[in-house]
Amino acid sequence: MFFLNLSMAEFTALFSVLGGVVVALYLLDRSRKKIKVATLRFWVPADKPPEAKQRRKIQQPLSLLLQMLGLLLLLAALGQLRWGSPEHSLRDHVLLLDTSAWMKAKDGRRTLLDSTKADAITYLRSLPSADRVMVVSADALATPATVFESNRNVLEEAVKSAKAGSSALQLTQAIDFAKQMQRLHGRGEGEIVYTGAGRMADKDDNLNLPKNFRLLSIRKGGENVGLRKVSLRRSAVDGELWEVFVTAHNFGIKPRVVPIALAYGHAPVASGRLELAPGADQSGRYEFRTKARGELEIRLIVDDAIAADNRAIFELPAQRLLDVAVYSDEPELLRPFLGVHPWITPKFFPTRAYSPDTKAAIVILDRFKPAAAPKGQAIYIEPPSGSSPAGTASPITAAMRLSWRNEHPVGEGLRTGDVRLERGEYFPGAVGSTVIAEADGKPVIVALTEPNRAVVLGFHPAKSQLRYELAAPLLFANILNWLAPEVARQKEWNGESIGMVRVAVDSNLKAENIQVLNEGGVALPFTLAGNKLQFFAGAEGMVRVITGGREQVYSLTLPEVAEKQWEPPKTVRRGLPGRFSGGASSFDLWQWLAMAGGLCLLFDWLWFGRIRLHASTAGQQSIGGWFMGQVSSWRKAG
Amino acid sequence: MAEALIDRQFLERLERLTIHWQKSFPGLVGGHNASRFSGSGQEFLDHRSFHPGDDLRAVNWRAYMRLERLILKMFQVEPRVPVRFLLDTSASMATGDPDKFDYARKLAAALCYVGLVRLETILVQPFADTLHDPIAVGGGRHRFQPVAEYLSKLEAGGKTDFLKVSRQFLAEYPQRGLLILISDFLDDRDAEKPLQYLADFGHEVFLIHLWSDQDRRPPWTGELEVEDAETGKIVKMNFDDESREAYTTAFDSYAAAVRQMALRKGGKYVGVPTSTPVEEAIFGPMMLARGIY
Repeated sequence: MFFLNLSMAEFTALFSVLGGVVVALYLLDRSRKKIKVATLRFWVPADKPPEAKQRRKIQQPLSLLLQMLGLLLLLAALGQLRWGSPEHSLRDHVLLLDTSAWMKAKDGRRTLLDSTKADAITYLRSLPSADRVMVVSADALATPATVFESNRNVLEEAVKSAKAGSSALQLTQAIDFAKQMQRLHGRGEGEIVYTGAGRMADKDDNLNLPKNFRLLSIRKGGENVGLRKVSLRRSAVDGELWEVFVTAHNFGIKPRVVPIALAYGHAPVASGRLELAPGADQSGRYEFRTKARGELEIRLIVDDAIAADNRAIFELPAQRLLDVAVYSDEPELLRPFLGVHPWITPKFFPTRAYSPDTKAAIVILDRFKPAAAPKGQAIYIEPPSGSSPAGTASPITAAMRLSWRNEHPVGEGLRTGDVRLERGEYFPGAVGSTVIAEADGKPVIVALTEPNRAVVLGFHPAKSQLRYELAAPLLFANILNWLAPEVARQKEWNGESIGMVRVAVDSNLKAENIQVLNEGGVALPFTLAGNKLQFFAGAEGMVRVITGGREQVYSLTLPEVAEKQWEPPKTVRRGLPGRFSGGASSFDLWQWLAMAGGLCLLFDWLWFGRIRLHASTAGQQSIGGWFMGQVSSWRKAG
Repeated sequence: MAEALIDRQFLERLERLTIHWQKSFPGLVGGHNASRFSGSGQEFLDHRSFHPGDDLRAVNWRAYMRLERLILKMFQVEPRVPVRFLLDTSASMATGDPDKFDYARKLAAALCYVGLVRLETILVQPFADTLHDPIAVGGGRHRFQPVAEYLSKLEAGGKTDFLKVSRQFLAEYPQRGLLILISDFLDDRDAEKPLQYLADFGHEVFLIHLWSDQDRRPPWTGELEVEDAETGKIVKMNFDDESREAYTTAFDSYAAAVRQMALRKGGKYVGVPTSTPVEEAIFGPMMLARGIY
């Protein structure tokens, strides 16, 4: 036998104090009442002699005994006295409450989560009061909402405050977590109880369910169609054109034809229909044209179980264009290199019109000596002798073989075959990583960072053998990317669901050149395996993946709805548990103790309380009177 | 201080009342009660023959001219009867809930105010085993303040001795008048005989008998240790419902005896439990007993 929160010594001490108080009150109750009156002339003593001569002795030991016994029993009942050993009697259960995205699905007027909460509360109320329960919110991550707790109010409050998340259920992980909690913090064998929809993202259907697993309820939702992935990017050939790729999925068992609508700044810009087979994806491509910034809303017009996955919103920036001023007397040579980039607006001027105060972001100086160096970033093509910012320039006198140094971003990815330079100049003073290309080991293209970024080409690409090579436009693209990386960076917006996000990157990309940042600019951990980058996001938000000249913005607002419906094995225990019947366990005594305590006090009141007086005056007409008569006769006989 | 005993609203209600007595007291003037004795009043009462020594101003000269006999006009006397309050301040008055002593002071203050409004001569005489220092006032309602302050300062204590007090009172105040006695009439010896002396002497007695609910019906039962508030005597007893009934019967019998004595001697009696508000006692039982109207 044990007391819930008190040791035997503490219980004895508490009972001694309370018993002492009862005895004191008993003696006080039976002592003479002292009163002061106006006169004694009318006071007539009763005919009956006083029942007691000695006031400080216990005159009715049976009454005191009954009161003490009643108090003891009630105290034990309040303390939830149990029979058995605590090591074998207390059980610690883990209640896995499914809070995955699917729990937002409608179940009649309520959501699946509301129904599941009701099941969970019913389960909590069915448990013995001494059992402790840990409530765990299970979605992609198992998160404990409480510790092992026996206070049912705390547990019910935790259940009621649970909210459906945006990720899919990982049931295996949740069960492993529950087992670990029971092993580390549990006191006795308890159950792992799951209640939810059973929509899980686990790959394997055959979960390794423990023996103490109980399935409280499975509440399946209705038909649902949702957006699974949305990608947006500017067209590579038209800077004003946005391309939108939408993938939707039918989570139900019936084929659906779902209208889709795109609105930019609340104005419809595109629409279509998606024919979705059961359990299948369907993609669609849509376009719209704008330069302004605004909000793009993509909506599936359908009334289904989950409304959250029918809509995605992106905030798109305005198109930024790069102004490039080209000072050349032969502009036609450079137009092919600059016209292929939709984000560049080149303006061609004759060399005599050069002014160092031009507002263009990048200035290209084609084979002339400026009166003053440009104040911004610049590209020098075959600068005349004495005007090269790369130092002394020496003329190329014989054909020299061109080679590239790929460690610099400007030279990244450039390859040429046997290209020889027959004219031009090289810069013998340039050394180190600033050299982009060499001709027979002599620098012919140099990148400078001081005072502003600049690239100096010792030859004109359009007047050399390079003009027949793919490396020529790539060289200009690399130069422009290096000089204005923010503008040149290729951006792509993706709408995906919360959870694990996989991004395809270049296979030769190194981890140190990758940045995965959240909305606050804080770097998120990621893994890189081959050309697959993976990161995990547990909450809604935006994540930017920057890989060199490419930036992918992931708007993780779509709920991750699991496709697989778990079919639990038939052998698993289901429903509410019956009365606990553990072999070497304990059981509650408090109901019986409370009843016995109440009976003790009732008998004391009947035998020794004021009802005795009323019974005598009422002529024993009532049942109580008859009972008192029987009791009196019994007492006399005793 | 007056407001401490009686509130102003209650005083305004008392304005229309008059202390009433039945007896005529010869040789006294003033007041509002007609006297059966002739004197130098303003209202004509009767004629009689002139006797030597009579006041010539009372001769009816018109009758003399017609009848040639000296006929004397007699006028009705309006006596100013003294109104005296005997206020019990013994220790027994301080028992009970509500307090009898406090109740008695309020009642005395209210009746004093009624008397002062009607220009009576008022004397408040506290007593316990002997007479204490009294206060005498008269001349109108503006003299109520000293009486109220006097009553407020009184304290209860001492043992009641009606016989001794009666003797002292008769010796102190030989002039007859209205005697309003406010007490619980709880004396070791019966109070009937001393009260009878006062009535026999010629006073009109108006007995106001106060008791608390505990005085009439003690709420306690069981084994009690009862202490007399005046003597300090302690009696231990077992008290039950039957005893309580006997107690109440004895108390009622005593109150009836006091009442009977008062009525037999031409006086008035009012029994008031302290659970009755003072205002209700004045406008209820006292008016019914015609002590005031």
